[in-house]
Amino acid sequence: MIEVSNLQKTYRKFEAVKGISFAVQAGEVYGLLGPNGAGKTTTLRVLATLLKPTGGSAQVAGFDVVRQSLEVRRSLGIVNGGMKVYDKLTGYEVLDFFGSFYDLWGPKLKERIAWAAELLHLEQPVLKKQVKDMSTGMQQKIVIARAILHQPQVLLLDEATAGLDVFARRALLDFVKQYAELDKTLVYSTHVMSEAEEVCDRVGFIDKGSLVFEGSLKEALELGSGNLERAFIRRLEEAA
Amino acid sequence: MNEILMIARKELLSVVRERRVLFTTLILPIIIMPLLMFGPILLFGNAARQTQETVQKVGVVGVPATVLEELRNAKVEPVQIANPQEAVQNREVQAALVFENGNYTLYGRLSGGATQSALVVEKVQGALRTYKDRVVADQLQARGIGTEVLEPFKVETRDASREQERAAGLFAFLIPYFLILFIQMGGMPVAVDATAGEKEKGTLEALLAAPVPLIQVLLGKGLAVFVMSLLSTLAAITGLLLGGGVFRNLFAAQLQAVQDGENSAQLGGALALDPLGYLSIILTAVLFALLIIAIMISLGLYARTFKEAQSYMSPLMLVMIIPILFLQFSDFLKLQDWYFALPFVNVMLALDSIVKGAATATQLGTTWASTLAYAGLALYLAYRNFQREDVVFRN
Repeated sequence: MIEVSNLQKTYRKFEAVKGISFAVQAGEVYGLLGPNGAGKTTTLRVLATLLKPTGGSAQVAGFDVVRQSLEVRRSLGIVNGGMKVYDKLTGYEVLDFFGSFYDLWGPKLKERIAWAAELLHLEQPVLKKQVKDMSTGMQQKIVIARAILHQPQVLLLDEATAGLDVFARRALLDFVKQYAELDKTLVYSTHVMSEAEEVCDRVGFIDKGSLVFEGSLKEALELGSGNLERAFIRRLEEAA
Repeated sequence: MNEILMIARKELLSVVRERRVLFTTLILPIIIMPLLMFGPILLFGNAARQTQETVQKVGVVGVPATVLEELRNAKVEPVQIANPQEAVQNREVQAALVFENGNYTLYGRLSGGATQSALVVEKVQGALRTYKDRVVADQLQARGIGTEVLEPFKVETRDASREQERAAGLFAFLIPYFLILFIQMGGMPVAVDATAGEKEKGTLEALLAAPVPLIQVLLGKGLAVFVMSLLSTLAAITGLLLGGGVFRNLFAAQLQAVQDGENSAQLGGALALDPLGYLSIILTAVLFALLIIAIMISLGLYARTFKEAQSYMSPLMLVMIIPILFLQFSDFLKLQDWYFALPFVNVMLALDSIVKGAATATQLGTTWASTLAYAGLALYLAYRNFQREDVVFRN
């Protein structure tokens, strides 16, 4: 579902991503783990066609991220921690707006909104509120609902729990597991190891733009004697 | 096309729910236009009338009794003073008149725009003129000469302007100014919100991740700005027409007094255009709107934050003052057709010419074609900005 091969991204002279490769299959949650500034967000933005790679290639749902960007965008959803939706619009209006780009109208749109709302534990009255009047957790749920409304095959989550309280964070982690069960492909980018440990099937450690470890969660845990955080630190120190 | 409309709808919906923006773009023009047009005229007219009707103190030094009597007839009260300049400066008197060595010197506060002192000076001048005419008439009569010798022939001045130009009056200057002002003012809040505002609030990334070509996102935002510009301009015109009507009815007597027998041109004038003239104004305004909107969106996309975008766009207002100044002196210049290819200046000149009924096909054609070309170029630059990762993710 996702094929990344020798992907590179350079901003002027700064190499943000230095030729990384990985693949994620359907029904799998892939954890892209790394410290701040490691290249996680850049990698996901390239996969979402928001940035163009300066080298290598990437395919999402069989489409090339450079040559078939619109097809890629139809096949994926992206959520990141800093992402917001229009605060003057109601939750329903936000979903109506984004749904229209995926040919979701009328009864079909209502059906999808109901589906997303159920999956994210969003109550219908909340959708009638303007986004600015919602709690941070609710706002984040609207951001996610917007990203999954078209039931994308691939979902990219980048520091999606940033700023959420414990309840909203729990709801999001539950959602990740449930969405993967629908045979969807997820990339879960975070620097919080406990979250990765809970939801990921496979993980990749990224540091300074390079992938320094890739394997199953079990392999990663073995590397850290049962502790993912220890494995992460050890691998990064070895790579340095 | 559907995506463009959806994006425009979303932008407008956000604006409609922002009371502050609604007030400044749609309500304020309706209130402010009649105030701008008629307020100063009424205020000055009333002040001038009151000055004429009431008695003001005028300092005098060495002025003969006959002249003092003439001053009293002109509704000023002469008071003896020691230092005329100081007395006027300190506002003890509105003007001062000194008679020395057979000559009169008149003091008044004549700087800093319309002053009451200037009006009193005019009253004193009138009184002195009347006195002088009487002295001359008496002297001529003593020599057996009639006063008609002073005016061997009459001079009559007639206005040879076109009918539209005569009717337009101040409109010829104000229409281009206000159209341009409100097109820009109305569009700016949406342009800022739809570009730098989206970046700052973190909503742009979600929009860019949707399967919509960038050009459609850009056109959708542009359409929203265009609609707000149009509504703001319509609000201004409505304010002008409705407010003008209200003012004319409520203050008919005062306005008539200010008019002082002159035609309506002094009070703002009235448009006397044929349908083609109105269409030409609309087309010119629409093309200008396209240009200014494309520039605002380009600047907004480049900016990182709301404030930064505003600081880029505000100088545009100042840039507009240059062609407005140019327009004031346009009558002293021999207008060349190529002037109508200069950005912004051409729109001002074209609107001015249309309102005065003096526009030629070449001038209008040049204005429209060049403005469309500039708008296309600005749109292309906005699109290029939108394609640049370092610009879009600059925040």
